[in-house]
Amino acid sequence: MFDEKDLLIDARHVTRRFPTNDGRMLTACNDVNLKFYKGKTLGLVGESGCGKSTFMRFLVWLDSPTEGEILFHGKDITKMKGAELHENRQHIQMVFQDPSTSFNPKMKIKEIVCEPLLNFNRIGPSDMDAKARELLEMVELPGDFADRFPHNMSGGQRQRVAIARAIALEPEFIVMDEATSALDVSVQKTVIELITRLQREKNISIGFICHDLGLIESFAHQVAVMYLGNIVEVMPGEGLSDTCCHPYSRALLNSVFDVHMDFSKKIENIKGEPPSPLDLPPGCAFSNRCPDCKECCTTEKPKLKEIAPGHMVACHCCAG
Amino acid sequence: MSLLEVRNVDISYGKNLTVKKCSLELEKGEIMSIVGESGSGKTTVIRAVMGLLPGAGRVSAGSIAYDDMDLLKLTDKEWRDLRGHDISMIFQDSGAMMNQTRLIGDSYVEYIRTHEDISKEDAWAKGVEMIERMRLPDGDRIMRSYPFQLSGGQRQRVGIAMGMTYRPKLLLADEPTSALDVTTQAQIVRQFMELRDEYGTSIIIVTHNLGVAAYMGDKIVVMKRGEVVDRGEREYILHQSTNPYTKLLLDAVPTLGGKRYV
Repeated sequence: MFDEKDLLIDARHVTRRFPTNDGRMLTACNDVNLKFYKGKTLGLVGESGCGKSTFMRFLVWLDSPTEGEILFHGKDITKMKGAELHENRQHIQMVFQDPSTSFNPKMKIKEIVCEPLLNFNRIGPSDMDAKARELLEMVELPGDFADRFPHNMSGGQRQRVAIARAIALEPEFIVMDEATSALDVSVQKTVIELITRLQREKNISIGFICHDLGLIESFAHQVAVMYLGNIVEVMPGEGLSDTCCHPYSRALLNSVFDVHMDFSKKIENIKGEPPSPLDLPPGCAFSNRCPDCKECCTTEKPKLKEIAPGHMVACHCCAG
Repeated sequence: MSLLEVRNVDISYGKNLTVKKCSLELEKGEIMSIVGESGSGKTTVIRAVMGLLPGAGRVSAGSIAYDDMDLLKLTDKEWRDLRGHDISMIFQDSGAMMNQTRLIGDSYVEYIRTHEDISKEDAWAKGVEMIERMRLPDGDRIMRSYPFQLSGGQRQRVGIAMGMTYRPKLLLADEPTSALDVTTQAQIVRQFMELRDEYGTSIIIVTHNLGVAAYMGDKIVVMKRGEVVDRGEREYILHQSTNPYTKLLLDAVPTLGGKRYV
């Protein structure tokens, strides 16, 4: 469903292990394979601590994997250094969850949005006012906000500034780490509309971390579900609620409350909490909470296999 | 006679009038959801009911009656008997309301012993029993943990266990699921519904998640900038209300299989 020549980032067999104090190894990402395409959004969903942020941080050089490679235009970004790294940083930008803590409170908005441009000598200090105004208007904020400080703005306005900063360098790829979860629902809607408009206009690829499947379904082209460091399902975003078949994806789906649901329906939820990532069950990581667990699930780890075009799932119970 | 009657209440912090002319009525065994954006005054209202307005906050007009008692005229002693016994509150992060340097069990025992003349051992056993009733396995181990050793969902269950120890008639919940994962949120919502079914507890839940509000609430109250702009039965709010703000909020909720932006 995606054209291979539009492949922008190809993550292959990415694994990240962290040593713990008592000498054991915690596997935060286990053999993750994901492909990001030009102008498309990949939504990465999962519970807290499943490794979704750990993975996305590799793409912006905030951390690097223990094993595996991440190809950006065919070059492995995990091995980049010096001038090459500096050059490539401008193509991949990030928007963080909480805009109030990702800005320097003593910098004015124009300094915040123009800092990346100044870093790469795209503009001189004298062009700042005009450029800041242009960027703010692009994210539908009044140009006069350029002289404000972050604390004079609401959460939604700050998140727009964060987006303005991320698109300032006209990157090819933006990582958004729960970029809307700190916002009110009505503000969230307008920010999503903004993101999708900018994506269309500038052909940006987006890696969006989220835990609300209802939200991610509304604007992602492909969705990957992660559980305890493993990708368990990758599927097209459209019609996700009908096509998804991994029991964990279904559990996530059943946990979504929306205003059009059947209120007499009893809430079905998965039992307990995820096991500690230090102490994973053998076989399928989800086996101890899965309603359909069979004998083979506890011994053999399921591999990701394609069951429909663009739809891969790692489960013994889901056959194509 | 309603269990709780809030009539034309104004609440101000210093000179700022934060909540204007707010009226709510809650019957026994009923669940009410209060929704609205950040800063709309929804938390302020339930804090006023609990007599827990922070800083210079005070109720400057109107009346709050609970079970025929005027809550605004209670003495400190009367409040101590009522709070945590007849009216309980559950916060967004129950871990934050506990002392981080004390075992959960120690805090729990102290709480039980302020309401009841009972030995430490019996209070401990009561705590374990309540925690296990909230579906946390191995209550004794939970009691011997510090708040930071538990996950968000476990902490929230401990908070609910504490709040429900004396089977309060009224439970106030301030964004009880906002800090949790969706799967844990579904578990906690289910537990709230069971409290009502088993004990007939009346619940006011403050949330900005309209899906949760709609699932739980028999009645829904919509607040905006300190005023109640819309209220009614769930069916009315979801399908019949003509209030533009209510419609705007409902329209913004992402739905499965709903509108796509790409």
